[in-house]
Amino acid sequence: MRKRKSKNTKKGLVFNVQRFSIHDGPGIRTTVFMKGCPMKCLWCSNPESQDFFQNLIVRNLNCKGCGACVSVCPQGAIKMSDRKGRQIDWGKCNQCLICADVCIYNSLNVCGMYVDIKDVLDEVMRDMDFYKNSGGGVTISGGEALLQAEFVAAVIAACKKMEIHTVLDTTGYAPWAKMKAVLKFVDLVLFDLKHLDCVQHRKATSVGNELILENMNRTAKERRIWLRMPVISGFNDSEQDIQKIAILGKSLNVIKISLLPYHEGGKTKCEQMGKVYPLRRVKVPTDEHMQRLKELIEGEGVICTIGS
Amino acid sequence: MQLAENLRNKFVSKAVRNVQRGYMDDDKSRGLFRPEVKLDLQRSRLMTESFRETDGQAMVLRRAKALAHVLDNMGIFIREWERLVGYQTADPNGIYHPIDMNWKSVLRLVKSDAGKALLNDAERKELDGICAYWKGKSMSDRQQEMFTGDLGKYWQYEGTYLWTHWSELGIPDYETLLREGLNARIKKVEERLEEIDRTIPLDYIEQKEFLQSVIIVLKAVINFSNRYAILAEEMARSEKDPERKKRLEEIARTCAWIPANPPRTFLEAMQFFYFIHLVRYLEYSTLGIGIRLDYILGPYYEKDLKEGRISRDEALEILQLLWVKFLELGLVYSPLVTSVYGGVASLQAITLGGTDKLGRDVTNDLTYIALEAAKTMRTIEPSIALRIHKDTPDDVLSAAVDVIRTGIGYPSLFNDDAIIPLLIKWNVPLEEAKGYAVSGCVYMEIPGKNVTRRAVGYFVLAKCLWWALHQGMNPKTGEQRGARTPNPATFKSWEDVLDAYLEQVRFFTTKLSQVENTCRDLYAKYCPKPFYSAIVEGCIERGKECKQWIYPSMVHDFIMVIGSTNVADSITAIKKVVFDDKRVPLPELIDIMNKNWEGRDDLRQICLNAPKYGNDDDYADIIAREVHHRTEAVMETVKDRFGYSMRGDGSAVSATYGLAIDTPATPDGRFDGGPFADSTLAPQPGMDKKGPTAVLNSCAKIDTLQTYNHLLKQKFMPQYLEGDMKPVFLSYLKTWREKKIPHIQFNVVDKKTLIEAQNYPEKYRDLIVRVAGFSAYFADLSKGLQDHIIARTEQQLS
Repeated sequence: MRKRKSKNTKKGLVFNVQRFSIHDGPGIRTTVFMKGCPMKCLWCSNPESQDFFQNLIVRNLNCKGCGACVSVCPQGAIKMSDRKGRQIDWGKCNQCLICADVCIYNSLNVCGMYVDIKDVLDEVMRDMDFYKNSGGGVTISGGEALLQAEFVAAVIAACKKMEIHTVLDTTGYAPWAKMKAVLKFVDLVLFDLKHLDCVQHRKATSVGNELILENMNRTAKERRIWLRMPVISGFNDSEQDIQKIAILGKSLNVIKISLLPYHEGGKTKCEQMGKVYPLRRVKVPTDEHMQRLKELIEGEGVICTIGS
Repeated sequence: MQLAENLRNKFVSKAVRNVQRGYMDDDKSRGLFRPEVKLDLQRSRLMTESFRETDGQAMVLRRAKALAHVLDNMGIFIREWERLVGYQTADPNGIYHPIDMNWKSVLRLVKSDAGKALLNDAERKELDGICAYWKGKSMSDRQQEMFTGDLGKYWQYEGTYLWTHWSELGIPDYETLLREGLNARIKKVEERLEEIDRTIPLDYIEQKEFLQSVIIVLKAVINFSNRYAILAEEMARSEKDPERKKRLEEIARTCAWIPANPPRTFLEAMQFFYFIHLVRYLEYSTLGIGIRLDYILGPYYEKDLKEGRISRDEALEILQLLWVKFLELGLVYSPLVTSVYGGVASLQAITLGGTDKLGRDVTNDLTYIALEAAKTMRTIEPSIALRIHKDTPDDVLSAAVDVIRTGIGYPSLFNDDAIIPLLIKWNVPLEEAKGYAVSGCVYMEIPGKNVTRRAVGYFVLAKCLWWALHQGMNPKTGEQRGARTPNPATFKSWEDVLDAYLEQVRFFTTKLSQVENTCRDLYAKYCPKPFYSAIVEGCIERGKECKQWIYPSMVHDFIMVIGSTNVADSITAIKKVVFDDKRVPLPELIDIMNKNWEGRDDLRQICLNAPKYGNDDDYADIIAREVHHRTEAVMETVKDRFGYSMRGDGSAVSATYGLAIDTPATPDGRFDGGPFADSTLAPQPGMDKKGPTAVLNSCAKIDTLQTYNHLLKQKFMPQYLEGDMKPVFLSYLKTWREKKIPHIQFNVVDKKTLIEAQNYPEKYRDLIVRVAGFSAYFADLSKGLQDHIIARTEQQLS
């Protein structure tokens, strides 16, 4: 059953709980993806994570043309034609999500669930045996998890109580007080960094990087950091850019730096939500280039991986 | 490594292509066998000659003499590269057909388009003559003659079960055989004969005839080996190439010594084993037999190594040569059997690892060498079963993962923590349970014991559910074939559905076991096996042929169950859609299924959306558990002819695909004829959406001790078994073991490669995939089965 919006503020808005997640920290993990993000990165590969509310996701391939959605839409935003199939007028859609309730073909889906702490813990605890043997645990990711800091803190505090290894995957764009409250229960921080230049950063993500860098420095004093950086051709992939990141990583004594080559994964998802994918003609970095950047970082004495 | 490459270019694949059932049009033209394969009539010819001469004698003597006649006279050859010898036919391209079992299907085969290239005209004519002799005498004729009334009705395949002919398994007492040699065994029989001459027991004649037949076959096996010794010696005399001369002289020495005497070296032990293995096939055409290779042969290697007679490379070479022997052992099956053994040659399996009687880990250097042989040879046979227990060395598991990583589908892993307690429950003494081995897909063997089981048949549980929804009556024909269970309109809950289903299971298990038990009497009478009796413990001592008594345990008699997941998911869908959500009354749902969901795709979708087994969701998993536990409990109420319970088994081969064709639409959303989940513990393809850990958690809810030896197959992309991810995968296996799931095997190949291989088979001739309990060349599989394998969920990782 879909969990619809409730007034209960104790609930968290989650858009996915991924089990057997093996790239978001050590071992076999369960990653809880929190919905809502204060940043709007152009290359965002999970655009469904951005809005801090539930939204409609459309998978046209699953549509059988039964028309159930057309008849229930109070806005008259859905049309069905023989030639074009189902069309959604996103201008009219007000995300009431009634259509998703009547779609049995999983063609109209709701992204985002309001869940209790207990719901999350129930799911997380199922793979305890796998965490124990693999050195894994739980990772809280996003969106930006710190947007729901209170909920997240409660979840990972409960995990810690059960001796589950905890990872926070964050952009670092949150008030320090909130971050600090969460860090108390976190074993390892996956810190995402996009660019060291504030102007460039603002251009590509809609926010500056001052707070992020400040929080990163503060975090490094409390917890080990695993630095992750999306590599976007022409934006942050020059040798100079990477050199700087490597030096920063070294000064913060990070565990390693992961370089995540740009991919177009966000494009289809944008289309499915009626959003415009803002990037055009950005190339996927070549393997050779990624390898060169990796060597550069390793040259500074920092461990580097590509992809995870 | 060089040798492996060379050998790989030379061997002949005898695997049958499953073009018989579920084929697409373009599959037919590919033929049932690869074009170079020919049918060899030698065994049939020699057996017939002997049988013509022994008319009137006791059957056990007749079969012994027939086997001896084959071994004394069949054409033998030694190929240029061989160091291990022995072949089941007179030509390396040959396959043979068990004429004593059945002549009609081979006659049909060689006259059909698919099989006409197997023989030339003169041979076809000869075969006609041979068949004329066997008319009324083959086991198949005897069955048809004997099965009247209900037996006649229920032995034929209709879609609920496929009663299987022939497949008789068991693992010889290699430990004693190799320690003593066959001469010692003959001496033992002679002593026993002297003893009964003194004591004159009531069954004196029966014992005497049996014991005499044992002497005949054992001497024939020794003579067979000597024939190779003589041939090798002759060839060596005229051989100019010094290397080859040396090899031939070695063969001559080896074959003159064993199997009469105990082997002194690793090579001799290997040759000894192979002769026994081969003669078992020649005595009785079966599938899936094996050996605990490292446990039995490892000590011979270690002794040679210590005494400087062998290097590791040489041992690897000998194993690679053995691999060719395994691979080339092929025979013809009946067309129906072919449909469930698509891609199979003869399903031989070797067991590695595990413990000895005292529970000590048995892995040795040969364990690693065997894994390396598998990795370098990349052949579909032998399949490797690796026993895992808490003291299995990490290095063994790591080496095994490297082999799995290559995508050949084995080793498949067996969990001692689940299986040994199960064997104990089946009355196998602890020490013997600790020494278990595996044959076929997941058959449990107690090596050396008289486990002369036959696989009873493939049992389509999903069809039992279908009968339960139709009160045992076929709605199309009006025939009352199943039990008359209550009208589904009266069902008040999912438990009522389950009860009706279990009643059908009871009904059909009873019918199946009646056919089987009757047939076994027939086999005991007309198809005794003096050679097999001679190489297991207890027959000579008792003076009784192996079918006259059995090892006292229910390890014997099993029914391979198919579609258990579909039964569980169907009952779950009924619970959810009919009883919880009240979307549709049950009779209406049944009606819609009878029309194969036509016009009601919406309802099919609603059924598909119901919870499914394999997602760690208790709603579905608890029903799956009930289905598994209670199905087994019902099957166990039915007994074999020695009074032991029937039981289930997870070895479904490709029957989950081949036999699914005859089960109409089911409430889990499956279409008429659509494939079933591909192993007893596996979720329905595409229905497990929460990844591999959720699947294992679902599996762990089904208690092995309340069921049987299962099969579980998962698919992983290669990158998850290598580099940084390998330790994670190893930890995954550790959790699998701790969860006491009895078995797991992996298909490691990405979807892209499979699709590519389907489109360009010529480029992927040696791409091997795991089908069920066995591996097959992807190119040999029918288009439908290929699609099915492609569709299986790849375990999606973040």
